[in-house]
Amino acid sequence: MDKKLGVYICTGCGIGESLDIDALKKVASKEFKAPVCKTHSWLCGTEGVEMIKADVAGDGVNTLSIVACSPRVKYDVFDFGPVLMDRVNIREQVAWVLPAGDEDTQMMAEDNMRMGLVKLNKSTPPEPYQAENLSKTVLVVGGGFAGMNAAVGAAQAGYPVLLVEKEANLGGFMNKMNKRIRPPYKELKPVDLEDQIKKVEAEPNIKIFTSAQIEKIAGGPGVFDVTISQNGSSTTERVGSVIQATGWKPYDANKLEHLGYGKFPNVITNVQMEEMAKNGKITRPSDGKEAKNVLFIQCAGSRDENHLAYCSSVCCLVSLKQATYVKEQDPEAAVYILYKDIRTPHQSEDFYRKVQKDGGIFIRGELNAISEDGNKNLSVEASDALLNETIQLEELDLVVLAVGMVPTSIDETALNLDYRQGPGLPVNKYGFPDSNFICFPYETQRTGIYTAGCVRSPMETAICAEDATGAALKTIQCIESTAIGSSTFPRSGDMTYPEFMMSRCTQCKRCTEECPFGAINEDEKANPLPNLTRCRRCGTCMGACPERIISFKNYSVDMIGSMIKGIEVPDADDEKPRVIALICENDAYPALDMAGINRIPIDPFYRFISVRCLGSVNLVWIADALAKGIDGVILLGCRKGDDYQCHFIKGSELANTRMEKISETLGRLALEPERVRVEEISINDYDRLPVILNDFMARIKELEPNPYKGF
Amino acid sequence: MDQVVGPKYGSRGGAGKAYNQSFAREVYRNVDSGEEIKMCMQCGVCAASCPLKEKMDFSPRKIFTLIRAGQREKVLSSQAIMLCTSCYSCKVRCPRKVPVVDVMHGLAHYALRQGYKPRAETALFGQKFWGNIYRLGRIDEKDVALRYFLGHGLGQGIKLMMENKNMGIGMLWYKRMKILPERPIKNVKSLRKMLDKAKAMGKGGAV
Repeated sequence: MDKKLGVYICTGCGIGESLDIDALKKVASKEFKAPVCKTHSWLCGTEGVEMIKADVAGDGVNTLSIVACSPRVKYDVFDFGPVLMDRVNIREQVAWVLPAGDEDTQMMAEDNMRMGLVKLNKSTPPEPYQAENLSKTVLVVGGGFAGMNAAVGAAQAGYPVLLVEKEANLGGFMNKMNKRIRPPYKELKPVDLEDQIKKVEAEPNIKIFTSAQIEKIAGGPGVFDVTISQNGSSTTERVGSVIQATGWKPYDANKLEHLGYGKFPNVITNVQMEEMAKNGKITRPSDGKEAKNVLFIQCAGSRDENHLAYCSSVCCLVSLKQATYVKEQDPEAAVYILYKDIRTPHQSEDFYRKVQKDGGIFIRGELNAISEDGNKNLSVEASDALLNETIQLEELDLVVLAVGMVPTSIDETALNLDYRQGPGLPVNKYGFPDSNFICFPYETQRTGIYTAGCVRSPMETAICAEDATGAALKTIQCIESTAIGSSTFPRSGDMTYPEFMMSRCTQCKRCTEECPFGAINEDEKANPLPNLTRCRRCGTCMGACPERIISFKNYSVDMIGSMIKGIEVPDADDEKPRVIALICENDAYPALDMAGINRIPIDPFYRFISVRCLGSVNLVWIADALAKGIDGVILLGCRKGDDYQCHFIKGSELANTRMEKISETLGRLALEPERVRVEEISINDYDRLPVILNDFMARIKELEPNPYKGF
Repeated sequence: MDQVVGPKYGSRGGAGKAYNQSFAREVYRNVDSGEEIKMCMQCGVCAASCPLKEKMDFSPRKIFTLIRAGQREKVLSSQAIMLCTSCYSCKVRCPRKVPVVDVMHGLAHYALRQGYKPRAETALFGQKFWGNIYRLGRIDEKDVALRYFLGHGLGQGIKLMMENKNMGIGMLWYKRMKILPERPIKNVKSLRKMLDKAKAMGKGGAV
């Protein structure tokens, strides 16, 4: 493509009063030979936008540099179709935070412009990646309540569905359920499983595989090849996206010996209680007599660091439901509920009220000891937190332990992914398949594979249904984005993808190991085999590659490197240091914008370069910058560690590890290691950001100027 | 021999007070609004709202949990049930709409009927006050005071009267109290009929 560059400088919003616009224009026309360079006092107004549109349509301008406000605003206005465009921020980063008419202010604006124009020079228009034989089928693994709802949701939206269930019947745990509590949470409702199954079976878009398992899933979104084994034979189907709804299992009560489980026959779990209720009468397992005095122990192993540290959110409701079974069997029966906190979220509080009204006795406290007499009657000593006394519950027929939910993903790999990084979905410390749960709760770390229902998070059936519908929508988003060659999430709409110059690959495996999403497989010679539809376009592979062979059309090692080289570095005698801030575009850049909107002054010696993720930062940029005479480099990214906020899971962590190793490079250049720093910042830290920047700049000023200036 | 497990080895029927529901059932049956305490979720808003909390041995919240734990003696001899001044802060604020004030008064009356006198003074004053209302349909301050003082016995009564003499004179001087006896309100018999009916409808507590 022959590029015809048009540079448009806005002078509104205080930019014109702050900067020498003619000097800016000279940068475009003299240094970069821009054939078109115009200014406007209100570029985002109708007149300004029409001016640009006329140039694109009439004058053949196809490469646009909009020198105005932050790219995070007015993106709907500055939309000129399929042209190359870059936004240079001289408002939030310059005019609003630096003194007007100052020499340093002008230098910063000019450098921002240079970097933007170099970026355009080094970019080419993206060509979407088109995979072949794309499928729009949704695979649902697990035919329980969540799986059935997800299947029906996707099918009714018009997508073919394969529903794979390992048991002979659909329904999952619902097959064991006696009654359901569901909105409006006033009374017990029938389970209605048959109706659910009929709805699935009647749906022509759904193909059901029962007594079946997933042998293997290869490929990526749009081109997953799924091998399903059923009755000893296996078939391979191509699907577009996958939902894992394999559900939960009860926490192993054998670990709860301190509550009497396994020691006393009349201590059972809530799951055993449910099965007993379904089979008829609620009785004492020891002698089969009807249970008249029943104690429920809530949080049996839950919210306990030694067992399940989390709250399963459903056990309270389950015990309230089962208390109602006891009361329905005999209204005079005594039902005790020993609890830490009763958690009945949203409208299910109504059911709590109902059980209170029915005469359930709620005791807040903890069990101290449980014992049994010769007739197998149980007796419990508990500390009552509200009475601040030790209390005794005597002659109990039955003690029910409300055990929590454990995701099946903790030790099963239902999907058997053919990924270099393992067959299962990566899980968090509690065993739930995790991703950035703060920002993207539906996502897993495998693109196009979503979890729904209790494998994602413990939840009751009503929420399960919503969760399943949400997952179905996510699969559709994935299928349709993949079909047009766009990234799915979180860079929705990004048409670029990483390209590997394989002739220079040294098979070092860094990209295949470090990709947070397992997008890159390996052949037997350790050559990377990218599955581009799995890619989330974070650029972590680009940051990892020591040979710098991975590039995007509008984002590459060469591009950022050239931008850094485009910065003018004054001589050491001028006492104007230069520090490069590589800022993550997800959180740090918006925080910087907010600091600008709040007019918090920043140091004029910074040069900000926005990166897709700190994971994409290649060490060569740091080396280039320091070798050019830049005095310091600061990396601003998201929080790492256990409660990370990195949008690409591991990017900021990888960047941190890489920077720890950079002291070697600095040593070779005979430079101080303090010249490079990594800082964590979250999107709402706009007030902390200038403090961090000032602090780093103060440290840099203490050091001697970089001796490589002028070389 | 009994088998016992648990972090702290309690003996059966030993360390703690046994929970039983008989007192709770007694309260549900016999105390005005007694059944409403089933709905209490022990949040403590009543206790935090109560201006007399400092004077109470048990907060309303704790009274309710004691009832549910079956601790009859503690509840019926508690000072707290006699101390409620009907400010209604608790009743207005209760998220479970428990009519705390009504329950506290109901419990006070029930305790008196059962022969408990947690605060005899308060009970005596309440009875004389109520007697006045029933007889006159209004309050005659000197009459209530007189009956209350003499309720302590003749000698003690005269002593109390002398102690409060100055306040009485002050009230007369500022016309807060008449020298002549108050007359009953118009048609006081109809009021008594209403009060009798209300009493018959309730569970034995005055309103």
